[in-house]
Amino acid sequence: MLAPSAVVLGVFVLYPLGRAVWLGQQRCDNFGNNCRSQGFGQYVDIFRSTEFQNALVVTAKFALITVPLGLILGVGLAVLADKYLRGIAAFRAVFSSTVATSVAVASLMWLFLLQPSVGALANVSWFNSLFPSVKDPGWLQDPGTALTAVALSSVWAGLGFTFILVTAGLQGIPRDFYEAAAVDGAGGIRRFWSITVPMLGPTLLFVLIVLTTRAFQTYGEVDLLTDGGPQPQDSTTTITYFVYGQNSPIRNDAGLQAGAAVLLFLVLLVLSAIQLRGIGRRVHYGD
Amino acid sequence: MFSSRRLLSLLVVAGVGVAACSSGESALESGVDDATTDAPVDATTPDGGTGGDTDTGADTTAMPTTTVAPLSELAPCPTEALADAAGPIDIVFWHAMASDLEPPMVALTDEYNASQDKVRVQLQNQTGYESLIDKYINAGQNSRPTLVQFPEYQLRSIADSGTTVPAGACIESSDYDTSAFVPRTLTAYQYEGIQRGMPFNVSNPVLFYIRKVFEAAGLDPDDPPVSLEELRAASEQIVSSGAAPVALVLDSGPDSGGGWFLEQWFGRAGEPFADNGNGRIAPATEVFFDNELGVELTTFLQSMIDDGLAVTVGDNPGGLDAFLKLADPTTPGAMTMATSAALGSVIAALGGGLAPGLGPEDVGIGPMPGPGDTPQVQVGGASLWIVADKSPEETAAAWDYISFLLRPESQSQWAAATGYVPIRTDALDLDPVKTTYATDPRFAVPFEQLLSGVNDDTANAPVIGPQREVRAATSRAMAAIFAGADPQTALTEAADASNLLIASYNDRN
Amino acid sequence: MATDLPAGVQGAVDTALATVDELPESTDRGRGRGRDFDAPIGWRRAGRYLLLALVSFVVLFPIYTTVIAAFKPSDAFFDHPLLPGPFTFDVIVDAWTAGNLGRYLLNSLVVATIVTVFQVVSAVLAAYAFAFLRFPGRNLFFVLFIATLLVPLEATLVVNFDTVDGLGWSNSYLGLAAPFLATAFGVFLMRQVFMTLPRDLRDAAAIDGVGHFGFLWYVAVPLVRPTLGALALFGFLGAWNQYLWPNLIINETEMNTVQSGLRVLSRSNLDQPNLVMAGTLVAAVPVVIVLLVFQRQLVRGLTAGAVKG
Repeated sequence: MLAPSAVVLGVFVLYPLGRAVWLGQQRCDNFGNNCRSQGFGQYVDIFRSTEFQNALVVTAKFALITVPLGLILGVGLAVLADKYLRGIAAFRAVFSSTVATSVAVASLMWLFLLQPSVGALANVSWFNSLFPSVKDPGWLQDPGTALTAVALSSVWAGLGFTFILVTAGLQGIPRDFYEAAAVDGAGGIRRFWSITVPMLGPTLLFVLIVLTTRAFQTYGEVDLLTDGGPQPQDSTTTITYFVYGQNSPIRNDAGLQAGAAVLLFLVLLVLSAIQLRGIGRRVHYGD
Repeated sequence: MFSSRRLLSLLVVAGVGVAACSSGESALESGVDDATTDAPVDATTPDGGTGGDTDTGADTTAMPTTTVAPLSELAPCPTEALADAAGPIDIVFWHAMASDLEPPMVALTDEYNASQDKVRVQLQNQTGYESLIDKYINAGQNSRPTLVQFPEYQLRSIADSGTTVPAGACIESSDYDTSAFVPRTLTAYQYEGIQRGMPFNVSNPVLFYIRKVFEAAGLDPDDPPVSLEELRAASEQIVSSGAAPVALVLDSGPDSGGGWFLEQWFGRAGEPFADNGNGRIAPATEVFFDNELGVELTTFLQSMIDDGLAVTVGDNPGGLDAFLKLADPTTPGAMTMATSAALGSVIAALGGGLAPGLGPEDVGIGPMPGPGDTPQVQVGGASLWIVADKSPEETAAAWDYISFLLRPESQSQWAAATGYVPIRTDALDLDPVKTTYATDPRFAVPFEQLLSGVNDDTANAPVIGPQREVRAATSRAMAAIFAGADPQTALTEAADASNLLIASYNDRN
Repeated sequence: MATDLPAGVQGAVDTALATVDELPESTDRGRGRGRDFDAPIGWRRAGRYLLLALVSFVVLFPIYTTVIAAFKPSDAFFDHPLLPGPFTFDVIVDAWTAGNLGRYLLNSLVVATIVTVFQVVSAVLAAYAFAFLRFPGRNLFFVLFIATLLVPLEATLVVNFDTVDGLGWSNSYLGLAAPFLATAFGVFLMRQVFMTLPRDLRDAAAIDGVGHFGFLWYVAVPLVRPTLGALALFGFLGAWNQYLWPNLIINETEMNTVQSGLRVLSRSNLDQPNLVMAGTLVAAVPVVIVLLVFQRQLVRGLTAGAVKG
């Protein structure tokens, strides 16, 4: 019974990972041939190189923006739409709509909004006076704001997904808890923090892990919006873009690419372990 | 909450800790001993046969003579095999002509397929050079097509791979007459004295400007600036007369400004960008753009920005940002340098109401400005390569198709339908391009500037292994300089990075 | 479901099904019980509507600009980016033909369907094994499965390409689907749900001589249908949105997926800037349809699985 899944996952995930681990300590020519082993010290070299460190910092910053923001907005929207009101289904549909957008679609929508010369947002005068950098030099062109702009497009694209997950989680909280608390005199905010949040525990943990994993694997948005970010700071070069991007210095060496990708996996492994241990333990299961 | 504060601080600590253990070295230096990556590395050509010295001084007269592998040792091109071949030979051609470049490509191929029954060409549009290159590299011997279109910067990389048949072998074996070719288009694809690919779609940078703004500033719209001094003077006049808030729109993208301002302008000024005959005679081992000329050129651009005459639109990832700046409703620019391949669509766009009050005739096209008074450009675009280790019939068939594509009639058709220029002068005498150039001389500008200027190794584009990555390094430097950094420092940094890239490439290939 | 289950098992199934039907519905909580105890009234109600409308506006804004751009002629695109222009289908038609979207949509549909079917089947089988069977190394296998969730696609791309190419599956539907035929996420989700099924159900079935597959098909699967629906939906969406992999293994244009088509359109020319907006709209339509149809299943399915831990 395990066989179908195990075979596919083994062949297409575990086996390549193993090969990548081996490849990551080699240096190859442009065509991926003539690879020469350099020893596993190469992993340390790659990890400590300036480009990888920069990519790591960029990716971490990106995650620090998208994960909390995505979580807060997802929960906020779900709670907002959690009331029995007429027509609430329409609002719920709207809030989930971004799940229909793929990375390519969402990024392109935002590319045209943010274009500094002719973009929709850049030419709205009141928006312009609030945020002059959207026109000059443009949010995607200013090294200080580029990463945030890309993060925004990513958060927007993920809203639908988090909204759906958290809404489903909210459905599972029995109303009686709220009623009882209300009878005891607890106000809306108190009820939120004492009931909703703890009961949402498993859902929130799941969303947290998914959002973090997605954030660390960001590629498409960067490829379509900034090509690695305003030079010379490489402000939006995430680790994945460092491995596969058009202008990456390691794109001609399959060995270095594999090494960096494996390092990404290790970083994710450590992060997930931290999240599961640090937060998972405090999550409330069942009633 | 869930001690998200704790998680946050954990992450921050991890981040700081991790950042603190940066080694300050590039990823390219991973794994290998320092000894082999000290830049510059002595050039050791793969087959060990270079007769020249690898003197890396800027002296361009001591050119090493090449004794690298003669044509006979490379993959052969048995063009006569087609004559005896039975039945139609099917060949696959991978190209990257996307959106409105595709129909002319299809039309030419259909014409070829219909005109004879020995060869049938199947087109596979890979839509972009980058994905085409990736697929080619990853495809094993069996999955490669017969004919590929590679962009100009892949010359060394593909030549080194040994996976293609040098076009020179085909020219020899079929006695192909290249006398009508524009010499520069052929030399662009020669490496170590051998013709590697055949030019096909040629474009180069031109100056796009708004004629109305020129008129309003009191400049002659039929006489755009050619030298750097003229460029500066024209810009000053435009801004001071109020015709436009900013005159010149610059960008630092690797496919445009970030590469051109150094590569193209060095060629025009007659100075080598890299050693060993600009990397054409023997593998390049170092770059020279951080010298006086480089500083001079970049300081010129920086001062234009500082004096309010020019503005930069950044890395221009989609290629459209510079054009869109010309159409900016509040602070439009007046001129920009961009690829001639965009000629048709820019004129159509501006005619379509992109910039209010402007029509298609308001776009002026001039030769690319640069050092010196004579226009001179390097060949851009892409070329055709026959893949090696195919059957003799297939190789011959591919060459037959190439010859068709390079006929004067085909070139005339191709040039008229796209923004590319014909690679041979006798195509000019044929319609449709003859009429096109006569009725709209703007389209003739990129062709004319191809003919002018010197045609030696220094004047032609540098040939470097990791050319794209080196362009990424120079564009980084350009971006920094546009933002106000000291030109010498920025250029030296980029030169060091480039030398490291080159050394790493030479070491591995 | 017409079966010939032993009576005891049938009774248990009926009870379980009845329980499932009482799971909270997404949109009618409180209905039938009178109004929600804390539903807002009066100005608080108006305020809530206002807030919902405001947020909706912000969420929909990029979609709105895309939609109006897709139906505007190219030369009107830059005039008033925020306002609808003269309505025309031309751009959509252009995007359809220039981007070969018809064929690409078909390709994406076929591949996504293959992936969805395989994912559901393989996940159910594996989850069943983890939830109900005992075998040596079960925990180790489970950990391995979960670990695959963390491996980034980029680390496996090139080797997978070699594998798929070696099998001769390049430029084929199977090749496009191959790396995604199984899902650790799906296994995890289904295992969660299976573990919430009462033990007695399984025991009763065993006593009555129903084998593993019989139990699975006649009992377990019907009970977890909502979660299956959710899994199928996520599988479909994931396969539909694949970006890197199709780019790599397809070099015959007819076999491209719609995401590749979008990438091409995104590099389109200055005189047709809204071509890509039209393309993104066309690419999003099938997904929207699928979502609307399966929306209820989605929420129900996740309710049963994710919350119970």
